[in-house]
Amino acid sequence: MTSQNYIRNICIIAHIDHGKTTLSDRLLEMTSTISQRERRDQLLDGMDLERERGITIKAKAVRMMYTAKDGHSYQINLIDTPGHVDFALEVSRSIAACDGALLVVDAAQGIEAQTLANLYLALEHDLAIIPVVNKIDLPGAHPEEVAEEIEKVIGIPAEEAIMASAKEGIGVPEILEAIVARIPPPRGNAQQPARALIFDSHYDPYKGVIAYVRVVDGTFTARDRVLFMGTAAHAETLELGVFRPAMTPLPALSTGEVGYIATGLKTVEECQVGDTITLAETPAEMPLPGYRPAKPMVFAGLYPVDSNAYPELRDALEKLKLNDAALSFTPESSAALGFGFRCGFLGLLHMEIVRERLEREYNLDLLITAPSVEYQVLRTDGEILTVSNPSEMPDLGQIAAIEEPVVLISVIAPSRYIGAIMELVTTRRGTFETMEYLDPTRVLLKYRMPLAEIVIDFFYDQLKSRTQGYASLDYTLAGYQEADLVKLDLLVNQAPVDALSLIVHRDFAYQRGRDLVERLRQLIPRQMFEVPIQAAIGSKVIARETVRAMRKDVLAKCYGGDITRKRKLLEKQKEGKKRMKMVGNVEIPQEAFMAILSLNEDARED
Amino acid sequence: MNHLYIHIPFCHRRCSYCDFNTYANLEHRIEAYVAALCAELHMLAEGAFPGGPLPTRAEQRPSPEADALPPTIFLGGGTPTMLSLDQLERVLTAASAIVPLERAEITSEANPGTVLGRDYLRGLRALGVNRLSMGVQSLHDSTLRVLGRIHSADEARRSYEEAREAGFDNINLDFIFGLPGQTQAQWEATLDTIIAWGVDHFSLYSLILEEGTPLYAQVTAGRIRLPEDDATAAMYEAAMERLGAAGYTHYEISNWARESVGPPGALFPERACAHNLAYWLNSDYLAAGAGAHGHRYPRRYHNILGVDDYIAAVGGGRLPCAEWITLTPGDLRAETMLMGLRLSAGVGEAHFAARCGLPLDAAYSDTLAELAAQGLIVRHQERVRLTPRGRMLGNQVFQRFV
Repeated sequence: MTSQNYIRNICIIAHIDHGKTTLSDRLLEMTSTISQRERRDQLLDGMDLERERGITIKAKAVRMMYTAKDGHSYQINLIDTPGHVDFALEVSRSIAACDGALLVVDAAQGIEAQTLANLYLALEHDLAIIPVVNKIDLPGAHPEEVAEEIEKVIGIPAEEAIMASAKEGIGVPEILEAIVARIPPPRGNAQQPARALIFDSHYDPYKGVIAYVRVVDGTFTARDRVLFMGTAAHAETLELGVFRPAMTPLPALSTGEVGYIATGLKTVEECQVGDTITLAETPAEMPLPGYRPAKPMVFAGLYPVDSNAYPELRDALEKLKLNDAALSFTPESSAALGFGFRCGFLGLLHMEIVRERLEREYNLDLLITAPSVEYQVLRTDGEILTVSNPSEMPDLGQIAAIEEPVVLISVIAPSRYIGAIMELVTTRRGTFETMEYLDPTRVLLKYRMPLAEIVIDFFYDQLKSRTQGYASLDYTLAGYQEADLVKLDLLVNQAPVDALSLIVHRDFAYQRGRDLVERLRQLIPRQMFEVPIQAAIGSKVIARETVRAMRKDVLAKCYGGDITRKRKLLEKQKEGKKRMKMVGNVEIPQEAFMAILSLNEDARED
Repeated sequence: MNHLYIHIPFCHRRCSYCDFNTYANLEHRIEAYVAALCAELHMLAEGAFPGGPLPTRAEQRPSPEADALPPTIFLGGGTPTMLSLDQLERVLTAASAIVPLERAEITSEANPGTVLGRDYLRGLRALGVNRLSMGVQSLHDSTLRVLGRIHSADEARRSYEEAREAGFDNINLDFIFGLPGQTQAQWEATLDTIIAWGVDHFSLYSLILEEGTPLYAQVTAGRIRLPEDDATAAMYEAAMERLGAAGYTHYEISNWARESVGPPGALFPERACAHNLAYWLNSDYLAAGAGAHGHRYPRRYHNILGVDDYIAAVGGGRLPCAEWITLTPGDLRAETMLMGLRLSAGVGEAHFAARCGLPLDAAYSDTLAELAAQGLIVRHQERVRLTPRGRMLGNQVFQRFV
């Protein structure tokens, strides 16, 4: 056991691609936590999906032992933090579990909005900050300017910034020494009733939910009865220990230490990020601050292509939910798609990740309906409804008013992009709040915007594309406001398809309607008969296209030698059909249900 | 065995759309190949069969329609006419131990660019070849060049006439529609021209863009544009209309034969290709040569593809089979349907029952009712056939059986 004075709990704050993962790997290597031979690239990102997308979804915590120049052996716990705007909630708990942070800034790119947002979060939690200017070896690096920028933003003298190239190992020994010297040991009282902050969790089929914790006060030992103060769940510490980086059991976790507690709990909902674990026998008086249940922002219907797969989808969602407290799902049914689930996500990226995992890990063919935010609808009879499924929107005549969630967004970008950003935000119904120059070339812009415009419309990608990738984005919920919204219905072969309905601002309804029917015309394959596609508001049709009837579809040749191959071709054709959803008598492919999104992706490429 | 396919995998040049098992610039291997081919035919004649002894006769389930066909040999390729008359004679002699040559329909494919003049054609006829199938493909020289054909339209026409003069009275010409740059007017002019030639049989294929061919690469790269589906549909309709009016019977999706007086109530026109009818009736057939496919229920095999590997395998005294599979009764039923429905005569209930061992309705009554309700098939006089609409949308029907 390491004395509290020789513990350092740190995280790395960095913008995506600024080198967080590479630096983590170097620290692990240099402290012999992993050998170079064992090292896989991007060790901290466990899941394939994360690796493919280059982002970190689940925070993890690795313990390193480092013998400093002062001769003492230090326990350094490195807590990894998520990096996408969708996962902003998880990041704050990881930061709260630390006493210091490495602020990694790309020597060519400078500080970005995401970094700044997390940095402010770190400062709010009184974390000691060590600036690291990374990638100094790359062409285009201007490390001195970046160090000065850091000084301007948070007041740490530019000379204190460590110049590094994690890739080349430059500056890494200095970083380790700085961690020991500049970051304070954990506060907390070993004599107080035990309290531990949950900053992440995952579900293990054998050990139940594994809570990733920072012990704030007291000590936890194996086989303690514990209480989760926020959810009031009870459990037993089946096992506790640390990640080195594999799970390594220990007899106890003491004040200041970071590690895991295997709880035996069946769902992560009972063990939510931000909650406080205490001992059931001698509970603490107060939980640690900062607990709020994870809240989905974007909602979409998830349906199996094959209606018989509904139970499999339910089981799969339940399994994912074990690991993902931010995911919500409730059964719903659609006239077009049958039985499925209305799912809540943190954002579109989160939605994509869930969909891909369901398809890959559970081998399901899925349809996702157009995503929506949660609206408040005031009916003429005075009742207020919460609507996250466009098809549940009351008839026009019954609606007195609709309110939509709004957010306050912060964009940081070089000042030369102000015009482009302003233009984009305006087309997304944003209103200007403030502008602040961080330095002569860089601005912080704040706008109030409908959440829908951000989370269901690839705003982030558009913002990136219009600023050559320089701008970055953060947002916080800022209540509800009334808006002139209408439900746009899509009719395929004269029948409304509820799963294709969406809620849009009246000003954009006609354009959306036209774009959408055109897109659907491209996506819906020709059938044996002509299929009209219409967009309508209420009973008024505002756009129409037609999928012409298929005229010829027949294998020109089939002789003896061909038959195996031709059968495969027919089987493939038939398989393709199976992946389509029969709505009425029309076969609609999966992509059509996402047409509204692909519309925006097209726009993004413009 | 009643039917035998023999593959000759040599070509002067590979056509841009072709994905058959064929090789250019291997002329120096032809002699060795012929020897190997004769050796394989000899093994087959002795009763050898890929995967072990042949199933007993009882399992073969003959059908009256298939049994009415004459014996057939089909020399396909590649380009069989790249073989010398002497080489072809050796092949046919070896084949005659499997299929008796008298009474047999013996077809050879021929590239109109390699037909070696009247003497060669007369010699071919004298060997017993009584049906010629020539790949003309197009009457437009620019299109022929895009396709990588080695002949011009004029040469094709000359080859056809020479074949006639050499005594061939049963000639098929292959054409392709839906070709790069082809217009409806061009195609209709082509149809009018070839109808006037008095050909016995036509195979008119809608171009199939096969993955891995040079044409496929050019089309996917956007260098060549193909007519749209609707345009090829119109070309197909024009072919049906014009050939029908000119007295040709459309007896299979892509095949027409000149009408002639046959026995009353005959299912197929007299000049229909009996060998191909055997395929469409899902009959058994042997196959020899590199990459050839043979079928004798419940087994199907295909031979080693490469010429050298093929020669080496036969040289080692074994059948050059690359793979064989066992077909299930379900496969047999499905294939009997999707091959048989290609025929205008459709699938006879008696034929299906004989071939598959159970009544058609026991296997497919629901599917057939649905397809009939969709207007894609019709049941009449104990036969199931595609409607004109079903013929245009054949895959929508065939899919239901795989």
